[in-house]
Amino acid sequence: MDIFTIAIWVGTLIFLGVSLAKDKAKTKQALKMAFGMGKGMATSIFSIIFAIGLILTLLPPSEIANFVGKQSVLLATVSAALLGTITLVPAFIAFPLIGTLVNAGVGIVPSVAFLTTLTMVGVVTFPLEKKEFGVKFTAIRNGLSFLSAIIIALVMGVII
Amino acid sequence: MTVINKIKGNLFLVLVVLAYIIMFIMKPPMGIESVKNSGYYIKEMLMIMPVIFVLTALLDMWVPKEKIMKLLGKDAKAKGVFLAFAVGSISAGPIYAAFPMCVMLHKKGASIRNIIIILSSWAVIKVPMLLNEAKFLGPKFMIIRWILTVIAIIIFSWIAAKMLKDEDLPEETATKTGLSLNRDACMGCTLCVKSYSEVFEIQGKKAMVKTHNKTTIDKERLQNTIKACPVNAIEYIEE
Repeated sequence: MDIFTIAIWVGTLIFLGVSLAKDKAKTKQALKMAFGMGKGMATSIFSIIFAIGLILTLLPPSEIANFVGKQSVLLATVSAALLGTITLVPAFIAFPLIGTLVNAGVGIVPSVAFLTTLTMVGVVTFPLEKKEFGVKFTAIRNGLSFLSAIIIALVMGVII
Repeated sequence: MTVINKIKGNLFLVLVVLAYIIMFIMKPPMGIESVKNSGYYIKEMLMIMPVIFVLTALLDMWVPKEKIMKLLGKDAKAKGVFLAFAVGSISAGPIYAAFPMCVMLHKKGASIRNIIIILSSWAVIKVPMLLNEAKFLGPKFMIIRWILTVIAIIIFSWIAAKMLKDEDLPEETATKTGLSLNRDACMGCTLCVKSYSEVFEIQGKKAMVKTHNKTTIDKERLQNTIKACPVNAIEYIEE
């Protein structure tokens, strides 16, 4: 295991220990909640992972990198951001996926745009959001998030 | 009938399985390659997912969210912005679990700007995820992206608040008294059923309120069940 994974395990175990010492019932409740969340999401997580495995076989990351490299940065970034809006991928799958792409040579700018819209903008969640907040709110929030995803990506390209 | 419902409920999974079957028939080596590729992500996920869920649940349990939420009104200014970030980034569950909660906050007086901050930080700034991001993309990448994202959310929530008025949000539908469960937010974790099986049941992978005898409801047990729900999908308004 690498240092980051170890750090998060150690931190969480300490937190868990303190929590247990302070309030046993509350901690038990939290563990049940964690288990419940995992169980509730397991099917969709495994489906997404196996779908990613399939896509990366058909479209190897090196070919994606090659293809993206031939486009202009702006076009690649906007397309990557658009692709990210369709899907909704949990962050702990999104990070290794983006890691694979970046290591294969896909530019940082399109990758960041993809990562941000992947988690922040959702065509899938649009109907739900509309139902709770109305069309105007939902359109403005998602629209501005999309724009900032592209801006964040471009600025990151300059800094890194 | 139940088979069709099961397929409908797991449409994506069924499609993926079908794709694999086709792949293994047409090109077995590519099928094996796909499984190998997936294996890498499954290994990475199993190393980090349990600990992230535990950490998220612990944060959810120990951070006094109710107290924070009372401070999110229109006069809260900078403090409100900071607290909105805090609520969003430590909360459990996927973003759609945040929708009902934010509607409730707005009714209680939280400003539109703070609601947008909660929703956005709920989506992208998860504290337990930061180390995970650093692992795959490097600490420098993580820190820069994190700072830029916070700045972007501060700016665009301000713009959105200028464009939106409180009236743009739908008028609340007459609040129903009694017990209700938001099935859109439910993740099917079955905690409510385990905690109060006389009132809750699972139907089609999601929980719902059973027909029950209202007079014999144990309020304390019900409140504990409401607290146990990882996505705050259960609501009880006294009659």
